[in-house]
Amino acid sequence: MEKAVHLSTKNGPKVPGEPTKTGTSMVDTAASAVQSFAPINQIHQHLCAFHFYAYDMTRQVEAHHFCGHINEDMRQCLIYDGPDANARLIGLEYIVTEKLFMTLPDDEKKLWHTHEWEVKGGFLFMPGVPEAIQRQDLEKVAKTYGKVYHFWQVDLGHQLPIGLPNIMMAVTRDGQLYPEMIKETEKQFGVSMDKERASRAYMKGPDHGIHPLANGGGKGLKLEVREVDIKPVESVPRVFV
Amino acid sequence: MASSDKIPVACPASSGDGKEPMGDPTKTTTTILDKGTAMMQSMKPIRQMSVHVCSFACYSHDPGRHMEVHIYGHRVNQDFLQCAVYDSNSSKAHLIGIEYIVSEKLFESLSPEEQKLWHSHDYEIQIALLVTPRVPEVVAKPELKNLAKSYGKFWCTWQIDRGDRLPLGVPSLMVSPQDVNLGRIKPELVKKRDEEHGISTEALKPSRDGISGPEKKNLVADYWVRFRKGFALDVVETDMKRTAPFP
Repeated sequence: MEKAVHLSTKNGPKVPGEPTKTGTSMVDTAASAVQSFAPINQIHQHLCAFHFYAYDMTRQVEAHHFCGHINEDMRQCLIYDGPDANARLIGLEYIVTEKLFMTLPDDEKKLWHTHEWEVKGGFLFMPGVPEAIQRQDLEKVAKTYGKVYHFWQVDLGHQLPIGLPNIMMAVTRDGQLYPEMIKETEKQFGVSMDKERASRAYMKGPDHGIHPLANGGGKGLKLEVREVDIKPVESVPRVFV
Repeated sequence: MASSDKIPVACPASSGDGKEPMGDPTKTTTTILDKGTAMMQSMKPIRQMSVHVCSFACYSHDPGRHMEVHIYGHRVNQDFLQCAVYDSNSSKAHLIGIEYIVSEKLFESLSPEEQKLWHSHDYEIQIALLVTPRVPEVVAKPELKNLAKSYGKFWCTWQIDRGDRLPLGVPSLMVSPQDVNLGRIKPELVKKRDEEHGISTEALKPSRDGISGPEKKNLVADYWVRFRKGFALDVVETDMKRTAPFP
């Protein structure tokens, strides 16, 4: 079994490029002072968890989610590979309640994963927030489903986000995640997942149980690209008068 | 299974009748809890975002389909921005994708296979389709000059213009407005955008004089313009390499 290749921002490759010139960054600062960043200001929560590739569980990544509520049933999250200012934006996730998930067609359900074990197992946590307060929200998250795409394969050492998007999945049982990766995260954030697991034992997953089609329906999922012909704008059907 | 260029299977989320996403309004208790915990967290990565531009994007597999986009970017260095893309700049905005922007120098280091997935920005900046809401042109000019020489790669994960009330399907590759038939943004979309932001694209155009595109325009980027081919993504089932049983 291959060891996990997971690169935290500290160790990962630097994004190539010149340091930002003074002129540009002055513009950015002046600009942001007057602009409306309302969408970004809706992001109120930082969650740390782990994702693996939907076709390759051996490739695992620490994923820092920055989430906001669209409404009571849905959240949207930006995913970074670390918690610091130099973190790379590697993907996004949508999180929905069971109620919304159940309205999805079968093929769509396969693209989503459950959060029950991620939460109950203690693998998903909110850095900086006391555990008792975290649980008030995480008990809700345990019942939800998520859909994650990553666009930057930082675990392969890519300096730039090349290639196609990847569907990602989350931990659903013990034995999937690499112990050394978990230990590193625990150390970095001063958390104990075993301890938290005991405190979260009361939590419940989806009311109707984990849907059998979720989590890829148990299959691996991969995205492939296909060239398509662009319909010319002139292709209007001829009308014979 | 799902493909980015296919219409989704009929379901409540694909009905397109209501504008709002599915789901109940956020409870006050949720908001209070969220804000409380946010105060304990540092949120450093998202605080790096300092650039907001508004422009239009087109679907790579159907460039005649246009969409207004709001791009919030973190300028990582002189050559690279990582951006979150939304469908508006309001607090109700939907996260519809991610765009990466690279300088000409970084772009030329990519393989031709990779370059096909990227688009140029000069046209939309030169005709003021791309605007910097609430930021005067004179302040925005250095950034606009930089962006006009850059290339972007934008994956859209929520086809909200189609009326999807949930993010269905797989990501769509997006392309930029171009000076060819399908790539010229529908005037009614531009008018709507201008009215909402109290600006005039026409009036801004003269201030974009002298902004030039890449030193040497790459012929593989904006692939659809030259080759009349777009890119669609399909999801395929395969065996999963595992460390343990799944799920």
